[in-house]
Amino acid sequence: MGSSGTFFSLSSLMCEESQVSFFEDHDENSCYILEDEEEYIEYLLRQETGFGSQNHFLLSDDHNPGRFWLKSARVDAIDWIFITQAKFGFKVETAYLSVTYFDQFLSKRSIDESKPWAVKLLSVACLSLAAKMEEQNVPPLSEYPIDEYRFENKVIKNMELLILSTLEWKMGSATPFAYLHYFVSKFCPGSRPETIINKATEHIVTIAKDITLMDQRPSIIASAAILAAFDTTLTRKALDLRISVISSWGNIESGHVFSCYNLMQEKRENKVKTPSSNLLCTQSSSTCVVENSSDTCSGAKRKLSFEDTENCQGQKLHRS
Amino acid sequence: MGDGGAGTGSNRSSNKPEWLQQYDLIGKIGEGTYGLVFLARIKSNRSKSIAIKKFKQSKDGDGVSPTAIREIMLLREITHENVVKLVNVHINHADMSLYLAFDYAEHDLYEIIRHHRDKVNQAINQYTVKSLLWQLLNGLNYLHSNWIIHRDLKPSNILVMGEGEEHGVVKIADFGLARIYQAPLKPLSENGVVVTIWYRAPELLLGAKHYTSAVDMWAVGCIFAELLTLKPLFQGAEVKATPNPFQLDQLDKIFKVLGHPTLEKWPSLAHLPHWQQDSQHIQGHKYDNTNLYSVVHLSPKSPAYDLLSKMLEYDPRKRITAAQALEHEYFKIEPQPGRNALIPCQPGETFVNYPTRPVDTTTDFEGTTNMQPPQPVSSGAAVSGGMPGHVSNRSVPRPMNVVNMQRIPHQAMQAYNLTSQAVMPGGMNPGGIPMQRGVPQQQQLRRKDQMGMSGYPQQKSRRI
Repeated sequence: MGSSGTFFSLSSLMCEESQVSFFEDHDENSCYILEDEEEYIEYLLRQETGFGSQNHFLLSDDHNPGRFWLKSARVDAIDWIFITQAKFGFKVETAYLSVTYFDQFLSKRSIDESKPWAVKLLSVACLSLAAKMEEQNVPPLSEYPIDEYRFENKVIKNMELLILSTLEWKMGSATPFAYLHYFVSKFCPGSRPETIINKATEHIVTIAKDITLMDQRPSIIASAAILAAFDTTLTRKALDLRISVISSWGNIESGHVFSCYNLMQEKRENKVKTPSSNLLCTQSSSTCVVENSSDTCSGAKRKLSFEDTENCQGQKLHRS
Repeated sequence: MGDGGAGTGSNRSSNKPEWLQQYDLIGKIGEGTYGLVFLARIKSNRSKSIAIKKFKQSKDGDGVSPTAIREIMLLREITHENVVKLVNVHINHADMSLYLAFDYAEHDLYEIIRHHRDKVNQAINQYTVKSLLWQLLNGLNYLHSNWIIHRDLKPSNILVMGEGEEHGVVKIADFGLARIYQAPLKPLSENGVVVTIWYRAPELLLGAKHYTSAVDMWAVGCIFAELLTLKPLFQGAEVKATPNPFQLDQLDKIFKVLGHPTLEKWPSLAHLPHWQQDSQHIQGHKYDNTNLYSVVHLSPKSPAYDLLSKMLEYDPRKRITAAQALEHEYFKIEPQPGRNALIPCQPGETFVNYPTRPVDTTTDFEGTTNMQPPQPVSSGAAVSGGMPGHVSNRSVPRPMNVVNMQRIPHQAMQAYNLTSQAVMPGGMNPGGIPMQRGVPQQQQLRRKDQMGMSGYPQQKSRRI
């Protein structure tokens, strides 16, 4: 097995058709650990140890001039992904998974500042791929709401293929959601898991805009989110005590959990400034889509045809 | 990059994409709902046979098919001697179709069982049965410990390697329905896929939505019995309706052999939808004496029977796991299982020469006729004749070939080499090739299933 391993969410550990029945089926909202759950979580944690980001150059490299542009483009992309997730009634996990694809893709290939449409195309294809992995009903490509551009189905499919091969088909990335149930029952015994998981989900979604999802292991994010949802006043010591039930974790992990926990607290109090998405507004409103290789900008909506993507390849997406 | 990028034009093979030029295409060996399977040779290593599975194009508006994504994702991660090995993934940019290259396996359990029943008229020897079963369990144990459920185990998906270094080694194939637990659970009938119901676990037939790895163990039990008797154990008549109709006849066949399930032995039975609703009055039906051992001609005290009955345990929680089964006494007594399941070590055992797969040499990757001159296939029997351009199928030696065409030869093993080169499409750009619309890749190939000669029940449309 490769280090990436394969992962799945808790709801599917129970192998249920829908997330909704998750709590209904199993009485009284009490904390319980499922048969096999311990074993499965251990498996996930083991698989995660290969987790790491050697080179997410664009998003984290301070010296890269495109970094700031890309960061705000990423925030816009995440906004679009979660709005679209809600529109289609996808699970939150699906949207989150598509953001991990987005980040992984950009750690291996770059998108040039002059091609904002490529970021949008990437967002659409990432969400479409995540939906195919996670959702029962997947809408046709044409139903994805894209205001500024019009992408042919074939162009989106081509982008899907590019993502699949760039990510070497490792589409089963872990997300923090796989851990939530387990961590609630471990860290906060006796509490109502549903309430905490809902709050934790909000934390996870919120900080997705601030950290590249390749920066932090999903289990770290999940545990910080659960703790932040459970108690907003934890000291490092109190936090260490709670997570000490995870025997494979040491000081390094607890440090990561604590900083993640603090980030979530700060976000909650709106102290952290997210890169403004306003930066892009002027650009994206004046829809600029390349029709031929000549980079003419116009306000009109243009169709992105196949020949266009050919040109894009050389100019906009470089292999890292 | 460059894999299959442009339609080349460089070599004399005028419009063959680059990736395809590393192969000599021999012919079509299978066809299913998800596409076609071809036999090919690697030009640089003529001794190596490869099966190439071409995914049928999804609808234009759907993008890359979810089945393809899941199957490739799973296969990418899997490395085990008893599981098929993906050698390469090719993206054909001209039409954005996907091709998977596997190592070729000459046999499968469907063929082996049929050969014994119809040609040899003799049971499969004990050593072979035990070795096949052990290797199947060994591969399954690997999958299950990596939290993968196969969900569609049946004899035609269990391949066995032909002559060569891995002769007689079992390879579990066809992961089109397999599921890492995170993938959404779809009704098995979805996408028009009809999977045979004969190997389906009772909890699924009764409407359970909770899949566990125990569903695979039920299928293994059915396959074990079939290896012993050469007949499917529970041959129910399938109800065709969508989605997921209640398969009364299949349950009836099971209850007749194993007796009526009881709440006492299977407590969670009460929560299963079809049992609860009981619209077909299955609860009232009376099935009495259980006679599994007589159906499979085993002594009720034999280790083989003990293992089989534990695989066919109604309650999925009590059903034996693959890991436990591997430790069962059956595998510790003589004859002990071996790596080459097809060659018995015991003196005096008759050696059965299994037939090779028929190859339709008149079909190329596009599904049109034309072809290079035929090449002998491994043992040579399957391919003969078949001139270039001939549309006739006379080269296929076995009368059952039409049925065989429906099968799913997946092949396997050895280090795949999913290099970035191999999987890297030429950027977002399909290579500047004008898109072909509506390539008639299917129509000339479609063959209807025909009944086998011996009255062996026709397998439901086999999937690729």
